[in-house]
Amino acid sequence: MNTVIRRLTGHLARGIAMIWVVTTISFVIIRNIPGDPVRGQYEKLIEQGMGPDQAERATAALYGFLPTGSLWDQYTGYLNGLIHGDLGQSLSTPGTGVATLIGSAAKWTVLPVLGGTLLSFLLGVTLGVYAAIKRSGKLGDALAISGSLLHGVPQYVIGLLVTAIFTTLWPILPAGGPVDISFEPGFNAAYIVSLVQHATLPVLTYALASYGGWILAMKSSVATVLGDDFILAAELRGLKRSVLFRYIARNAILPLFTILALSLGMLFGGAIFIETIFNYPGLGLLLVNSIGARDYALMGGTFLVITVAIVVANIAADLLYAVIDPRVRTGGAA
Amino acid sequence: MTESFAPGVRVQDLTVVYRTPVGELPALAGVGLTLAPGTITGIVGESGSGKSTLALSLLNAVQPPGRISGGSVEIDGLGDVVRLTGDDLRRARGRQVGYVFQAAQNSLNPLKTVGKQLLDLGRSHDVADLPALLREARALLGRMGLDGGRVLDSYQHELSGGMRQRVGIMLALVLNAHLVVLDEPTTALDMITQATILRIVKEVHRERGLTTLIVTHDIGVAAEVTDSLAVMYGGRVVEHGPTMDVLGSPRHPYTRGLIRAIPRLSGDIGEATALPGRPPTLGTIPAEGCVFRERCPLRMAVCDTVDPAPAAYGERTVACHAVGRPVNLAVRKEYV
Repeated sequence: MNTVIRRLTGHLARGIAMIWVVTTISFVIIRNIPGDPVRGQYEKLIEQGMGPDQAERATAALYGFLPTGSLWDQYTGYLNGLIHGDLGQSLSTPGTGVATLIGSAAKWTVLPVLGGTLLSFLLGVTLGVYAAIKRSGKLGDALAISGSLLHGVPQYVIGLLVTAIFTTLWPILPAGGPVDISFEPGFNAAYIVSLVQHATLPVLTYALASYGGWILAMKSSVATVLGDDFILAAELRGLKRSVLFRYIARNAILPLFTILALSLGMLFGGAIFIETIFNYPGLGLLLVNSIGARDYALMGGTFLVITVAIVVANIAADLLYAVIDPRVRTGGAA
Repeated sequence: MTESFAPGVRVQDLTVVYRTPVGELPALAGVGLTLAPGTITGIVGESGSGKSTLALSLLNAVQPPGRISGGSVEIDGLGDVVRLTGDDLRRARGRQVGYVFQAAQNSLNPLKTVGKQLLDLGRSHDVADLPALLREARALLGRMGLDGGRVLDSYQHELSGGMRQRVGIMLALVLNAHLVVLDEPTTALDMITQATILRIVKEVHRERGLTTLIVTHDIGVAAEVTDSLAVMYGGRVVEHGPTMDVLGSPRHPYTRGLIRAIPRLSGDIGEATALPGRPPTLGTIPAEGCVFRERCPLRMAVCDTVDPAPAAYGERTVACHAVGRPVNLAVRKEYV
């Protein structure tokens, strides 16, 4: 128990340090992007004949902070806000908090991307086992080729193909947007059906785009485990096929858990191409729009959410690994 | 339940081929070997001589791209193992024939405790009384000088090489198999652990009434524990007989060379002479004639064309054209 707590504390300390470093770097980079909207607004007001003080007050009233502070002042103010859980005000949507924007985008990202990731993981891992076991047969070849093909095709190509097929050639699904606005939001059948219909294509695209990676990774992992002595030993002890299958699958899936945890962290970055193609108002689209609008606070907030998610996913992966692999659990005590 | 007698084993004309880009090459070419019930038989030979392939054949477990292409392996109570398939074969493995891996090989699932793997074994073989199986395992481990309860709760990485080997022996015997195959049981163990494992093998063999086959490249191990000894070379058993006879008065020129190559603790290291040349690999085994002729001091014209058939000389079987015939004494002298 003590080791778990010690391990967790270490992780948390490292995680917070990591988040601080990334926050600082992204702060500096973001502030150095050319085209400062606050400064632009301030200068526009001066051109329109306002005095500097008046322009500054007007801009500050619009955006919620001073346009002329030094970088250091802005940085300390930003960090101070973060410590108090304040992500700041959006510049492109004045009057709205960054946290609110991210929160509402997150719900459109997490479910589809989570669904897509888990779907492709389960599909890829299961088929990967068969691809490895039948690797000298036709089925194995077919599975491996499907994996390589889908792995090689970029997300946006798959997205466009899927759109073309299911909305134009065979129009059974809506082409974009998160939900049909004609339905009353809430827990009613029509609304939920519309949600699912709109989510189907993004999820499908995401699943197809990442399925190839899973099946290839699982296939090579299983092939490695199949060559291990203990599998032959288990076979020579007369273990049932189902038991053997579990031995193989559990050992082969270990290295994939780290990748899974990381991609679950990545999902907070949204799927930029997919959300753009399907006009799905998730985090990826939010990030792209915030960059276009030079919305510093929103950019910083989105980056922060991605950073935190990945750091947390890393910690979770490490702790999870200790649960599923006894060799890690003992922490080198053996 | 299973029969509680030591089974005899008769391997006849066993041929195992490996599929390679240049066609199927024989790893075993018409091997014949009889294990008498209740004895410990050793198989010695260099790497690539086919000894592990022969050991795996006893469980019909030659791994692809290899396959048994001919011959039979008759085990008392089981019949011809070569003809067993599917569930019949699976049930024979573990229950009737126990197989013990090299200690250095990781023969346990690293993610499960020994006890859980023992239960997997029991369930796979439809053992009704699992608590009794656990008791039997603890007793066996205790018999081999281990704390049974602790070992069953351990993962592979928590056990030393010698402990793993004893766990391997336990798993091979716990279902009451009476034929046990040990593949290099002492390789990669330190000398003291080697001695312990060999003592355990001998004692358990006697106490449980087993028929045991030990595959090794270490003639010292064979001399210490085996009753009878088979010498393999190039996929053939070239000499087989009672261990003391084979080691005391080897008749096949390869056996003699092998024994002369052992350095003695007392005496000059220079007295040990290595066999000239190198053993054949799958691809370099001659298609006809004697496999050993390239390295043989007794080579005759007939050796180039005719593969010598094993011939019985009392309790001994030797496969050599030069044995049993009058041999040029001048050549023979260096081997006496």
